[in-house]
Amino acid sequence: MLVQVLVQLAVVVTLMTLAGIALFVGRYRLRETRVEWKDRVRAATPITVVLAVVLLGNSVARQIVPDLSWMIDWNPTWEIYDLEGQFILWLQSFETPVLTAYFSFIYIYGYVFLLVFPVVAYFALSNTRPLRELLTAYTLNYTLGLLLYIFVIAYGPRNLLPEVQALMYDTYPQYQHLTRQVNRNTNVFPSLHTSLAATVGILAYRTRDVYPWWNLVAGVLAISVAISTIYLGIHWAIDVLAGIVLAYVCVELSRVFVGRWSLSERVALQRWLPSIRRQ
Amino acid sequence: MSKREPVSNDTTGGRGYSRRAMLAGSAGLTVATSGCVRQVRTVVNRDDVEQLSLTITTLPADGDRESIQLAREVAAVLEAAGIDVSIEMRSNEEFLRAVLINHDFDLCVGQHPGGTDPDFLYEALHSLYADESGWQNPFGFANLRVDDLLEEQRRTDGDDREAAVEELLEEVVREQPFVPICVPEEHRMVRTDRFDGWEDGHPATRLGYLGLEPSEGTDRLRAVHVDARPSQNINPLTAEYRDHDPFVDLLYDSLATERDGDLEPWLAESWAYEDGVLEVQLREGCRFHDDEPLDADDVEFTYELLRDTELEEGESPSPPPQYRGPAGIVEDVERRDDHELELEVDAGEAVAERALTVPILPEHIWDDRATPATVPGVRVAGGTTEAVTTDNVPPIGSGPFRFGSRTERAHLTLERYDDHFTLRNDVDLPGPTVGELRIQIDPRSTSAIELVSTDSADVTSSILETYVLDDIEEADDTAMLESPSWTFYHLGFNARRAPFGNPRFRRAVAGLIDKAWLAEDVFHGYAEPTATPVADEWTPDDLVWDGEDPVTPFLGGDGDLDVDAAREAFEDAGFRYDGETLRVRR
Repeated sequence: MLVQVLVQLAVVVTLMTLAGIALFVGRYRLRETRVEWKDRVRAATPITVVLAVVLLGNSVARQIVPDLSWMIDWNPTWEIYDLEGQFILWLQSFETPVLTAYFSFIYIYGYVFLLVFPVVAYFALSNTRPLRELLTAYTLNYTLGLLLYIFVIAYGPRNLLPEVQALMYDTYPQYQHLTRQVNRNTNVFPSLHTSLAATVGILAYRTRDVYPWWNLVAGVLAISVAISTIYLGIHWAIDVLAGIVLAYVCVELSRVFVGRWSLSERVALQRWLPSIRRQ
Repeated sequence: MSKREPVSNDTTGGRGYSRRAMLAGSAGLTVATSGCVRQVRTVVNRDDVEQLSLTITTLPADGDRESIQLAREVAAVLEAAGIDVSIEMRSNEEFLRAVLINHDFDLCVGQHPGGTDPDFLYEALHSLYADESGWQNPFGFANLRVDDLLEEQRRTDGDDREAAVEELLEEVVREQPFVPICVPEEHRMVRTDRFDGWEDGHPATRLGYLGLEPSEGTDRLRAVHVDARPSQNINPLTAEYRDHDPFVDLLYDSLATERDGDLEPWLAESWAYEDGVLEVQLREGCRFHDDEPLDADDVEFTYELLRDTELEEGESPSPPPQYRGPAGIVEDVERRDDHELELEVDAGEAVAERALTVPILPEHIWDDRATPATVPGVRVAGGTTEAVTTDNVPPIGSGPFRFGSRTERAHLTLERYDDHFTLRNDVDLPGPTVGELRIQIDPRSTSAIELVSTDSADVTSSILETYVLDDIEEADDTAMLESPSWTFYHLGFNARRAPFGNPRFRRAVAGLIDKAWLAEDVFHGYAEPTATPVADEWTPDDLVWDGEDPVTPFLGGDGDLDVDAAREAFEDAGFRYDGETLRVRR
């Protein structure tokens, strides 16, 4: 079941990405990429390695996060519910099969496309800074998100209000095999779905001069992802707000970090390269 | 201050106050102020009267969908009665850890393991257990009259016992140490094309998985379980990880096994009761899964370990959080020879046999575990031994199935133990009929049903949640299996905390709960409201549910609480209201 879902996901996202390349990137940039790809890969390698390490560490760490969290034992689910009340039930009162299909599609496919496509799109730019900022922001999202997951035990709305419909899992039960690999039910604060989507959205806005249409599409997708997490009964509205804040923090930090690192990189390269060459 | 002046005056040689006059003056001043201070103290140093604020500890919907719904309904009526309520959800094992081990709760809502025989109340309510961890008296309830009746029903037999149980139950419902809410129906889905004989044993016990008749070429029994805990920990003594599941019983044998409430010989070939002594004859030639022989020494060791997991090596006994009720019946074990034992029991015949239901543990493995658990740099609570904290993987028992493999949160796979006594030709007991029993973990009832209907599983070993039952479609090769239930949903009070130790308060709370409506609304009718925590045949006539609770009837109707009546109930119980809120002294 899981394999089938994964294959389906890979095919759909690949098709969407190809369409995105055709629509937003254009032939001109692709041609340039064919010439410059080595330099760009070199520039993006350090942060890619860091991101890969963080992702690997994340998947291991998630096994132990619940135990750590219960040792800290800070469980504000009831406070979250007290604060926002029955917003979700109100949102779900607009439920229609079409909306459920749309938001389920967004939650799975739209989300993965939203994360994958900008990597390709920014790789197609001569200036590697957006790419490096993007990858740094991803890294920060996963790192800070994991820290928050350790300190906060929060159950999603479905767990406190069973009348909240698990719309996606009830309509498309095959997806829970996928999400179960990634998610633990005590890790809903903040919504990492939202924070990563918002990260892409904010960066797309910052690169709107280069990719005006992508800015528009990313905006719509990011907002849809945020709404989908609430509509599908997976997150509280407060988790989504926290996700947006986390996204903003990550984007700002990545700007600072990328500036520093590229500087140090340049210094280091100038110092090291001649000595390497001499050898 | 008044004393300082004369001293300085004296040393400077004096402005006319004699020392005596000063002393008299200061004494008068002290008397005057002390009277004043005492009055202030009597006014100020009183504990404040505040709104009663409490937390209900329960499980999230992923752990138990019905519990969180019950908890929210209970929270709503308590709030209507002017109490400030919050709900804390904890995962399966953390819920049990908070309630059973640390007693860190005000009120709890969840499923109580109950029991087929009313003697389970001895474990649940005897005040001797109030300071222990586990299902033995997690409520901290202490009542000498109840203690006496618990002991009486243990020592008596026949009609005397019935009378004692009746009196006990009347006292228990009067005291409401916990509020029994309802008994859920147990439904499971099975595949009938691959196995026959599902009705022969209760699927929450070992017999439900033994003696099944597989169809031609079927050598694998596939269970799907919604609770991941059996894949994480298989220690019979770890209370947080044990629930209504049969897997420990398939890995470990007990001397007797229960069928429809009666005990049948299992590892013991036979037993006889006489004058407070159970003479037990073990089956010969039994071995543990690691090929070590099982004999009377292991049985003796097991009862010792269940009395004190430090085997009397510690400063004080460290009883385990499981099996305290049945093991506590046994006062002493005397080994006659390798296969004969005498159990000295503090019970009549009816209850004494209950002592034979505990799992027999191999001495050569558990002896080393009878030591305090340590974590470097952390002070571990007294009485925490390796025996109750180890995850016990791989488990070495003597049961009909042996451990195969496991992946946490994915599966637990057991293999047939070919040397088990049920496979002997001269033993007529249901045995393992398949080579492999694979327990797949799948977190939701809906997908568990799907696995059975698509022929990916043979049985849902967990009880199906009631909300899915109406939607199950009938098919030729699957069937629904309904089994009798002895567990019940309850609202537990932590009597160690004020005001929950007050029976009047507990009775007032019991009156706020519309059990009939909850059984209908939360359980979709697949539950029976109940006033007593025991099976129907033990319920005295005047405690039988007849449309409403015979002792603490609901103050209102059809789920709607009569708020004025509720407040009156609390006021009659000696509590006060300030406007809308219930005030208590903290």
